[in-house]
Amino acid sequence: MHNRFWSPYVAGAAVGLVLLAIFFVAGRGLGASGALSVAGCMSLNVVSPGFTGSLKYFSQYLDNPSPLMSWNVFMVVGVFLGALTGALFSGNFKIVLDKATSMTTRNRLLTAFAGGILIGWASRLARGCTSGVGLTGGAQLALSGWVFVCAVFVSGFLFAAIFRRYWS
Amino acid sequence: MMAPFEMSTALTLGFALVFGFLFGLFLERGGMGDPHKLSGIFYLTDFAVPKLMFTAIVVASTGLYLLSDLNLLDLTRVWIIPTFFWPQLVGGLIFGLGFVVSGYCPGTAMAGFGSGRLDALVTMLGITAGSVLFAVMYPVFEGFYLSSDMGAPTLPMLLGVNHWVVVIPVIGVALGLFVFLERWEGRKKNA
Repeated sequence: MHNRFWSPYVAGAAVGLVLLAIFFVAGRGLGASGALSVAGCMSLNVVSPGFTGSLKYFSQYLDNPSPLMSWNVFMVVGVFLGALTGALFSGNFKIVLDKATSMTTRNRLLTAFAGGILIGWASRLARGCTSGVGLTGGAQLALSGWVFVCAVFVSGFLFAAIFRRYWS
Repeated sequence: MMAPFEMSTALTLGFALVFGFLFGLFLERGGMGDPHKLSGIFYLTDFAVPKLMFTAIVVASTGLYLLSDLNLLDLTRVWIIPTFFWPQLVGGLIFGLGFVVSGYCPGTAMAGFGSGRLDALVTMLGITAGSVLFAVMYPVFEGFYLSSDMGAPTLPMLLGVNHWVVVIPVIGVALGLFVFLERWEGRKKNA
């Protein structure tokens, strides 16, 4: 069967070089969850500026005159465009609600959203996700990166036993 | 002038866009937009995630410490990810559950959406909602969030050893893992 993807080693080495270039050029790291937190803050701010302004955690964004003009937000826009380009040029782009064959559409919407809530909440607690803490911290040999990665895999394997019937 | 470089805001944002583009491109090309491949690691059916992740970590880590040793990069000006031990441990455990339930993590959800997956968009909306939920609940969890602040230690710092004493074993373990996974997958294919 034709493999639609690159070898994970090749793609991984390429991601590693991108991360290295970020360290070298900007002294920063990768990031993905931070931008969605900013997006959440700014969306809520449109609906209810008073309530959003009262949230202490969001003051880190709102104290900035233009919270959307940030490293994390621009990076995530880039991630979307890069993935779109990769999928289009490889003939891998397809608008679909991807799910395990046995899963109903309603259940897929539920799992996608509920899993997202857990991920979003946990990323704020951990100060980043698999990109910002896992890959970036891991490559720096930072304790944070390795603690986070180990916790994600341990938890993933444990809970997979429960969710096995959904995905496999 | 030594790397990393001082840049204007506009240039910094431009770099963020370009690096993000390449990150997204390589994630998608590595199959990281596909929730079946992503969750495959947890069901031991697909090992693209650890292969890609540990290759990236080994490459970036080796490069980072090599550039620092060659005096081409000032490591003290690279923002090392700070450690808040217990929040990051508990965060990782909850994150793992969310990863298994949704089949994505934040960066890969973006890659999944970029390749046309609407469920990935739903996960992104969930992540956004979860962030807002955290902000709303923050006063309750602030004490825990700020606990076990260890600064920004690296494993070589904690062990009091030269960085290569950690980098080289990490490379060794990664290579060992890759050899093991390839053999195991080969055996499963032949079975």
